[in-house]
Amino acid sequence: MSGALKDKFAIVGVGLLAGRFEDRSFRTLQTEAARLAIEDAGLAVNDVDGAIDLKIAPGAGDVPSPTDAFPRVLGLPCRMFFQVSRGGTASIVGVLAATKFLELGMANYVVLASGTKDYSRSRVARRTGNTSIGVMERAGYWGKPFGDLAAMSHHTFFAARHMHEFGTKKEQFGEISVAIRGWAQSNPLAQFHGRPLTLSEYMDAPPLVWPYNIFDACVVSDGGFAIVLTTAERAKDLARKPVYVSGAGVGEAMGQLWWDKANYTRLAVQTARETAFREAEIGLADLDFAGLYDCFTAEVLFQLEDYGWCKKGEGGAFVEGGRIGPGGEVAINTSGGLLSAYHLGEQTHVAEAIMQLRGEAGERQVANARIGLVTGHGGEILSPGMCSTHACMILSN
Amino acid sequence: MSSSYPKPAIDEDNKPFWDAVRNRKFVLMQCRKCGAWYWPAAYCRNHANQPFYGSLEWREASGRGKVFAYNVHHRAFDPAFKTDLPYVYALIELEEGPMFGTNIVGCDPGDVSIGMDVEIRFIERGGALLPVFGPKG
Repeated sequence: MSGALKDKFAIVGVGLLAGRFEDRSFRTLQTEAARLAIEDAGLAVNDVDGAIDLKIAPGAGDVPSPTDAFPRVLGLPCRMFFQVSRGGTASIVGVLAATKFLELGMANYVVLASGTKDYSRSRVARRTGNTSIGVMERAGYWGKPFGDLAAMSHHTFFAARHMHEFGTKKEQFGEISVAIRGWAQSNPLAQFHGRPLTLSEYMDAPPLVWPYNIFDACVVSDGGFAIVLTTAERAKDLARKPVYVSGAGVGEAMGQLWWDKANYTRLAVQTARETAFREAEIGLADLDFAGLYDCFTAEVLFQLEDYGWCKKGEGGAFVEGGRIGPGGEVAINTSGGLLSAYHLGEQTHVAEAIMQLRGEAGERQVANARIGLVTGHGGEILSPGMCSTHACMILSN
Repeated sequence: MSSSYPKPAIDEDNKPFWDAVRNRKFVLMQCRKCGAWYWPAAYCRNHANQPFYGSLEWREASGRGKVFAYNVHHRAFDPAFKTDLPYVYALIELEEGPMFGTNIVGCDPGDVSIGMDVEIRFIERGGALLPVFGPKG
């Protein structure tokens, strides 16, 4: 099993759109990202024969299936096309699926693309007095009549539980927010570029849903993301320095939800981590940077513990003193992440990892970056069942 | 504003639960074979199941539990909840085992704590009867 994946496939092109695109459709953003990724790879649209639709679902309910899919819009002559949707893990699950098509010769180049209009949707919601885009439309969704209306309405349980079990302090969640905001100051694409945050500003902010305030929550964005994946063999002949998939893994806690009450202070990291690190044949100390899914601050803290940067319960102390921020000990969420840059799900971190590994990260470039970890998290199955899925991918150059 | 509160999302699986709530009864699913309790509807995870979880049935539960985790909403993400602020949304660990997400009423949000004993209450909101919890006693 081990060695089946390691460095056999590579990301050879990336397309990233982040900003405000009120006048563009979700479909056009996704298609444009795909076009950019194919162009970046030095390929023609006609070379790409596989396509995967990555559905980003950042706590905003079900995203409609496309009635007009991006390969049709782009005129992409694909032999395979399907959708992947699993909370904030779609691109990692999508890459894993694509590798099999490549291995079986059912495709030579696969483009995986997503689009999102959550920023625009939030503006529309605001006009009706709703201050969240979390208008859940799922059948049987539990919490709405009780005022469970936004991701923050139940993600706060993670933070509250960790505070209760381990004495984690509000300031320590603040350290995470401040550190990641610090990274955003060197990313011109970040929504909070030019707007740094101090710990006292964090502490002075009124609670939105205690224990969280506005600075514990990610941004919402409009944008698009795409990558082109191919075999390492084919990658050698292309325009860009290949970014190899060294390992990947998924974890799922759905079956334990409601029963294993440890779910509220840890994420489903274990099987994902073990699979990915075994495949990549590396340890945590080999990472030059990591992009940890940061829909809220507590998720970052949990992952620092779950991946082993520190012990369970010690995440609060670990993040003190700017340890994960610019100039700190470990480079976490160098783009500014979902908290301060833009929210394209885990693809925010995949995009950043590609830039870091190609040496294109500008001011925030991690010196001699060779190996990076990206993680994704999500998949609320029934509020407040909490997110059950986790995935990670180790990328290298 | 009460008419614009979100309505319970009732489907084929949770209809027996909401039917019971209308009669001020708090029911969970119990396995006839091993006694394990479930909420929401589930197949019994302890052994093989009859078709369509045939060995489980909805039964009245104790309506008692402890606060497992909670938060305090200071913002109404939907304007219908404006007059309810600040309100507590909590995860209750029921005496029978399952977790249940609902509001804590009948006390100041500042008096809620993890581990606190709570019991079922029914309140009317937006024309629907809702199962919420309040301090025991």
